[in-house]
Amino acid sequence: MLRQTLYGSLFLAALGLHAGDTVKLAITGPFTGGSAPMGASTRDGAKLAIAEINAAGGIQVGNKKMKIEVIERDDEAKNERGALIAQELAAMGDLSGVIGTVNTGVCMAGDKHLQEKGVTKIICPAAGSASMTQWSKAGVKDLSIFRFAAHDGIQAAMVVEEAINRHFTKVAVIFDSTNYGVSGRDDMLNQIKLQGNKLQVVAQEKFNIGDKDMTAQLLRAKAAGAQAVLIWAIGPELAAVSNGMAKIGMKAPLIGGWTLSMSNYIDNAGKNGNGTLMPQTFIEDPITPKAKAFIDGYHKTYKVDRIPSAVAAAQGYDAVLIFAAAVKQAGSTDTHKIKAALEDLKEPVKGVIATWNHPYTKWNPADVTTHEAFRREQVVMGMVQDGRVVFGNASDKARLIKEAAGTPAKPATAKPAAKAKGKTK
Amino acid sequence: MNPSIIGQMAVSGALMGLVYALIAYGFQLTYATSKSINFGQGELVMVSAFFSLTLTNLGLPYWAMVPGGLLFGALLGLVVERTGVRLALEQKSEGWILLSIILGLFFFSAAENIWGRDDRPFPTPISADPIHVFGVDVTRLELSVAVGVFAIMGLIELFKRRTLLGKAFEAVSADRDAAELMGISATRTVMLSYALSGTVAALAGILVSPITTVGPTMASALILKAFSVAVVAGLDSGFGVVLIGMALGVLESLASFYLGSGWREAPSLTLLILALAVRPTGVFGKAVIRKV
Repeated sequence: MLRQTLYGSLFLAALGLHAGDTVKLAITGPFTGGSAPMGASTRDGAKLAIAEINAAGGIQVGNKKMKIEVIERDDEAKNERGALIAQELAAMGDLSGVIGTVNTGVCMAGDKHLQEKGVTKIICPAAGSASMTQWSKAGVKDLSIFRFAAHDGIQAAMVVEEAINRHFTKVAVIFDSTNYGVSGRDDMLNQIKLQGNKLQVVAQEKFNIGDKDMTAQLLRAKAAGAQAVLIWAIGPELAAVSNGMAKIGMKAPLIGGWTLSMSNYIDNAGKNGNGTLMPQTFIEDPITPKAKAFIDGYHKTYKVDRIPSAVAAAQGYDAVLIFAAAVKQAGSTDTHKIKAALEDLKEPVKGVIATWNHPYTKWNPADVTTHEAFRREQVVMGMVQDGRVVFGNASDKARLIKEAAGTPAKPATAKPAAKAKGKTK
Repeated sequence: MNPSIIGQMAVSGALMGLVYALIAYGFQLTYATSKSINFGQGELVMVSAFFSLTLTNLGLPYWAMVPGGLLFGALLGLVVERTGVRLALEQKSEGWILLSIILGLFFFSAAENIWGRDDRPFPTPISADPIHVFGVDVTRLELSVAVGVFAIMGLIELFKRRTLLGKAFEAVSADRDAAELMGISATRTVMLSYALSGTVAALAGILVSPITTVGPTMASALILKAFSVAVVAGLDSGFGVVLIGMALGVLESLASFYLGSGWREAPSLTLLILALAVRPTGVFGKAVIRKV
């Protein structure tokens, strides 16, 4: 008797959940630990967009307005935590989608559970190539995983391009011994070849996580006559490189992956970080009304005067807007229908990074860019200056202002030149 | 190869080596009196560094912060002695090995919860701009490490040789039972050695933090090297750790320059194995003949 009542009430509870009139959206990422600046910024950026949508009454789904309900999960940048969270989310049944993940390893460990159940996920801001190429390697025909980040392929191409544009001929390639560092080195060497071997790699140096004295590696690079240092690494070791270069009087600029914009690089390198260049999808500079509203909103809501990772925050914000547009178009909270809508988004989405015009197309295992939103032209070069990231090239800034004023970003179907460059693996 | 580059490598390596030596010296202090080692010494370095950073953030000037940090280190040393070492020693058990590791883990988690897991810069009034000496670039910050290491080791050694309390320290180190019979409290002396060891750890943290940043994992790489230095030099070698520490640092930096950065640790580890095979008591250690 007791058992029957229990089952009965469980059944009712389950019914109650399904009968809810909210759109359930999970946000995952490392909110504590070394990757937290990225994870927490993604979350906070996304929640800013959600708060705006909810304040306006919610998303128009069919004939009623539905608010977004957030489910937060901290994966602590640990692969095994990520896998558990993905299993939990995949088992929920009434979840409309997932946005998040900073670490490529966490994507590799968890996304398969979501894909199995066809739960729509937008990866944001993990940039490692492998989190999308794993699906083309597996030959998956129907994919529910999308990405909203400038993947390493685009970034490596830009780093090499920047070195060539600045008329350097001899460069040192420095990387850390993690997966991220080593695959970044491969991407950069590959790009040097693709872009016509205009750069001569005079030194290839490696260091371990936790190394603080980079003198040996830097002296080798200096002795070999490197004019610039192309670097792929995570965390404070990047700062140790900048500080080491200042010590031995090496003036070559540091150009590398977007991790160079993280607060733990900028703060620990101090004035030695000035002039460092890295690809960015968003610069914390209120150049357009939309960007100004976003930056002011973030500062005010979270009581900071600098976004810990502006790139991650802006991507989290735009990812939610794109997701909401897909829910509206699908006219349903069913994650499978939302996935179909994402693959064919009809209305342009005015985001803080760009106006997103048909960001994704039907998944094609031979071409990962079908589920990648970012193209070369949505990424700009950022430069560290006095503790902040500013535009590295004035032309980028001018272009973005002009684009926001009138002409929208090119639709993905136009396939710009960078597409081929982006696909390095 | 250009001699100025070799000079640069040697100087950079030797300065890093001095930090290893200072932490290794902390091992020696407690080993001398109690034949026990705090395996959580690295966490003492880290927690003291975080505490000093907090003092700085509270607005204390550098010269007031340093004694505060050192005092905190000494207190932590006493905590380790009281909770992890004393009972085990009284029972003549090896429990201090596990207990000191556990205390280390406890300090680590505490630091993560109190100060977070990020690596943070450690402000210092000492300039990090390079100065050029005989074709070698060093920063005042690095020189301050050398000065600090020699100053504290010199002071402690003077204390051991010139003061009554120091003599008691030496007596307990030489023969605990005999010293007790002479009316010296071995327990007090062991407490003193742990407090000194904690002070040394705190100084290592304060000296190295401006160069390496402060974070929960800041000492994990250092501590292994320091342990190697202590073992290669011998756990009762006194200033021997300085020579071995500097040699290890120089070797590391020359290895990563000539063999490539992937081989940085290889020669020093080979040396560790060789030293242990040829001189198990350490290069500067004294072989003790025990009469039975």
